[in-house]
Amino acid sequence: MNSNQFIALAPILIIAGAAVVTMLIIAIRRNFVLINCVSACGILLSLLAVGLIWQANPVQATSLIRVDGYALFYTALLLLTGLSVIGLCYDYFKARTGENEELFVLLLTALLGAVVLVSSSHFASFFIGLETLSISLFVLISYTINRQNSLEAAIKYLILSGVSSAFLLFGMALIYAQSGVLDFNGIGRYLMNQKDMNALVLSGVILIIAGVGFKLSLAPFHLWTPDVYEGAPSPITAFIATASKGAVFALLLRYFISAYNYSYLPFLTVLSVIAVLSILIGNLLALLQNNVKRLLAYSSIGHMGYVLVAFIAGGRIAPALVVESVTFYLVTYFITTIGAFGIISVLSTPQIEADDLSFYRGLFWRQPWLATIFTLMLISLAGIPLTAGFIGKFYIFASGADARLWGLLLTVIVGSGLGLYYYLRVVVVMSMNVEATAIEPVEPVQKRMSTTILAVLTLLLLWFGLYPGHLIESILLISNSLK
Amino acid sequence: MIELLGWVPFLPFLGFLILAIAGERLSRRLIPWIGAGSVGISALLTALIGAQFLKGAMPPYRLALGSWMAVDNLSVPFGFYLDPLSMTMLFVVTGVGFLIHVYSAEFMESDPGYARFFAYMNLFVSAMLVLVLADNLVLLYLGWEGVGLGSYLLIGFWYEDPNNGYAARKAFVMTRAGDTSMAIGLFLLFTQLHTFDIQSVMTQATNLWTPGTVLPVAAAALLLGGAVGKSAQLPLQSWLPDAMAGPTPVSALIHAATMVTAGVYLIARTHALFMLAPSVQFAVAVIGAVTLLMAGCSALAQTDIKRILAYSTISQIGYMFLALGVGAWSAAIFHLLTHAFFKALLFLAAGAVILCFHHEHNIFRMGGLRKSMPLAFLSFMIGSAALSGLPFTSGYYSKHEILLAAFEVSPVLWTAGCLGALITGIYSFRLVFVAFFGPQHAQVEKSPGWRMSAPLLLLCILALAGAMLEIPLASVFSALAADENLHELNTVSAITVAAPFIGVLIAGLFYLTGAFSTQRLESLVWIRQIQRFFFSGWGMDAFYNILLVRPFKTIARLNKNDAVDSIYSATAFLSLMFHRLFSSLQTGQVRWYASSMVLGTIVIIAIGWLS
Repeated sequence: MNSNQFIALAPILIIAGAAVVTMLIIAIRRNFVLINCVSACGILLSLLAVGLIWQANPVQATSLIRVDGYALFYTALLLLTGLSVIGLCYDYFKARTGENEELFVLLLTALLGAVVLVSSSHFASFFIGLETLSISLFVLISYTINRQNSLEAAIKYLILSGVSSAFLLFGMALIYAQSGVLDFNGIGRYLMNQKDMNALVLSGVILIIAGVGFKLSLAPFHLWTPDVYEGAPSPITAFIATASKGAVFALLLRYFISAYNYSYLPFLTVLSVIAVLSILIGNLLALLQNNVKRLLAYSSIGHMGYVLVAFIAGGRIAPALVVESVTFYLVTYFITTIGAFGIISVLSTPQIEADDLSFYRGLFWRQPWLATIFTLMLISLAGIPLTAGFIGKFYIFASGADARLWGLLLTVIVGSGLGLYYYLRVVVVMSMNVEATAIEPVEPVQKRMSTTILAVLTLLLLWFGLYPGHLIESILLISNSLK
Repeated sequence: MIELLGWVPFLPFLGFLILAIAGERLSRRLIPWIGAGSVGISALLTALIGAQFLKGAMPPYRLALGSWMAVDNLSVPFGFYLDPLSMTMLFVVTGVGFLIHVYSAEFMESDPGYARFFAYMNLFVSAMLVLVLADNLVLLYLGWEGVGLGSYLLIGFWYEDPNNGYAARKAFVMTRAGDTSMAIGLFLLFTQLHTFDIQSVMTQATNLWTPGTVLPVAAAALLLGGAVGKSAQLPLQSWLPDAMAGPTPVSALIHAATMVTAGVYLIARTHALFMLAPSVQFAVAVIGAVTLLMAGCSALAQTDIKRILAYSTISQIGYMFLALGVGAWSAAIFHLLTHAFFKALLFLAAGAVILCFHHEHNIFRMGGLRKSMPLAFLSFMIGSAALSGLPFTSGYYSKHEILLAAFEVSPVLWTAGCLGALITGIYSFRLVFVAFFGPQHAQVEKSPGWRMSAPLLLLCILALAGAMLEIPLASVFSALAADENLHELNTVSAITVAAPFIGVLIAGLFYLTGAFSTQRLESLVWIRQIQRFFFSGWGMDAFYNILLVRPFKTIARLNKNDAVDSIYSATAFLSLMFHRLFSSLQTGQVRWYASSMVLGTIVIIAIGWLS
């Protein structure tokens, strides 16, 4: 390994180092604020490293990791997500009893897994990254162990994650059995020389899709989503919904483009079925949901379906446009999802998790700013103009229309229509009068860190909605790095 | 000076913003200063600009203030265009507008919505100025809709009475019918000529289209639809009498002097297009002639002082249409100018009478006001003289030009115009003789202060001598300037001059001397029926009721449960059903979750193999 590769790996190494350092500090002295600061500093350092190597040429560091513009963009996105989640965790866990310091170690390892995923160019790093991420998540989900659902959610996720990993591994094994290679480009070369699709390779790729589909909570592998979202502490839910899914999606896109998978119609057919099911089932399930966390869980199933439409378009259009659409959509999805779960975690107290819809009744009169931010997040999720979500959805339609995926686009329209109903339902509940409130809400304590993060997210949401040009320009820089 | 043109519409808009935002929180002394002041400065600016503009050779002046929208090959700038035509309109809108604002400062003083009133008025003036200054059709349309909005807001100004709201809505909906036709006309022009700039549209239309073919006829007819709606001409005239529900200064400004003449302005502005469509231009003349007669007859039967004036407005705009139709473009604009003076005068005087006389509108309950309200009497005498077109008043010169030009084209149109002039003489002096002569029925409560008197006096002067303010429009309407030379005095001319005198004489015989009695006439059944028919405005409301309102209501009643709605109910029902179905799969049990994953995987592998 030469120095060039070493520098390219710096963001990953710094995160790993930060995890180790935090762990050591905990062993010496337990201090919640200190640990929080150290982990945040680790992420900031890593971000700095990303900034420094941003313009460099792509580097293949060992056959496992490829550090290119695409990887670095997603690394930065994940690191910023991690930073926001750490900020939310600070306020969420500060008032709680128990030993909350290890939370940050786990967050850093989860982040490490996610960062490895987006830079991975090999089945081995793919699997290792995924497991590093998942195993950290099991513990994180159950972190508020005194809450009723927390442990249940963690165990469900553990078992089902095991099942999905088995599918994934089996799929990889099938592909390896036929092609004899594990790196994406090698598989691509192998497939290019094949005339017909081998049944084993076909099954292998579909098994990988199934394994990844679980992580992305795509139908029909979505059943765990609401339970886990509800059981996990809100900031962790935000992390699962964004970092975990985003990283896996970025990896899948890299795999599909590098490994020449787009040329095979059966994959796209399978993905189309999954997309249609996800959009319809996700949005239909959210319709009458009274638990906001579950509602967002169902809506995230639908959203993953929407991105998948842009993903499928890659069968007919240039990869650069797919990368552009998917990345823009994911960025807006990250912002709004962290924002929405941020609101829930700000309103939650150690005694009560603010996830029941009745809790939001009359929020406009009690907490006008929070209610406004939540409304903005929801209408962005619904894809209403002036918010970033609209531009994201516009990208879906643009790439879908380019690839002439009319059926899928029709499903997206139906899903968006259903989506409006339940997003606006929350807004309506928030603007109802206070007298009828059944629950006397506990006045939330000042949570400066979280509210700052929410304010920044809201500004980003409007900025990208009104002037998407800036974000699009930086995405265009990376859109050609996948080949 | 002329560079400041942009401020002319902007100042009233600024006034609107201040008044709309600060509202009644402002001190009541300050409100008229802002409301009338903003228009006043605009008027001053207009005067300075006009002085500079009229001194030179008057080349058209263009002012580009920025881009409004620019997409592909469509670009709409905020651009103003000043030529003698828009200069004339600017003088009318700011000058008469300012006088009416000053008058309103006193007229509306005790109204709780003082600031709201001035805010609407300023908004209206601003929109009207945009309309007349716009250099492209889209900006013109913005002003066009803006004045419609102002008109709606001000007709329904006293919104506590639902009837005022209905009147406002009626005006809005009926003009909107015309506006829609105009919008389609604009689309047609743009799709054919690829530009919205008025001057380019006109030159291109002249170059590309042969006269009388389908395209120019369709475009002109569609624009005419808009003009007819805005200017209350046949068949869309019935909203104007009801629009009198608004405060009297509103009737003077919007429904006499400015907005209702926007249709005349539009046709004059796009006259090149109408010249390419001779059939439509002739239709303009016919519409004008018929409307002026119909409205004149209706005015004869009215008893409400404002409704008489409203019908006379419709009738006078009919004259302007007649002038446009016979190609006497400058005469039409000239009549627009003088009409603005004398009709504003009449309305403001009527407002003074109404305000000082127990809010009474019925002229037959007034009587003898000559002595108690000398200024109003003077105003009405001068105003009515100008309205009838008696010699040496401003109205005489403009109407005379129109009638002589009509004779050139068709003696039938001229006959209609002369008959209309006779009727005008009857109804305007009927109003004067009934309200101001004879025995006094009640005492006057108060007399108007200087803010009401000064505008009245100034308008009296303008109504008499306003004809001297005529701006030479030859450069705008160069093509037809030759046709408009005044003719030598002859029989035609003599009859034209004599017609209103006969009308005044008839009115005098009936209402002043009592030589003829109206009771004797009314004892005849068919006269009474005709009177009722005229009173209802030729049954236009009933006609629309049968043609549109009733069928619409019937359809609405038949479709009470909304057949289309069932599609949406079905969607909602289906969604709920699927929601329940999928919810039942969320059992919360890991064994089912895991097996569903296995099942799902098998299914997608099968799909992959089969496809």
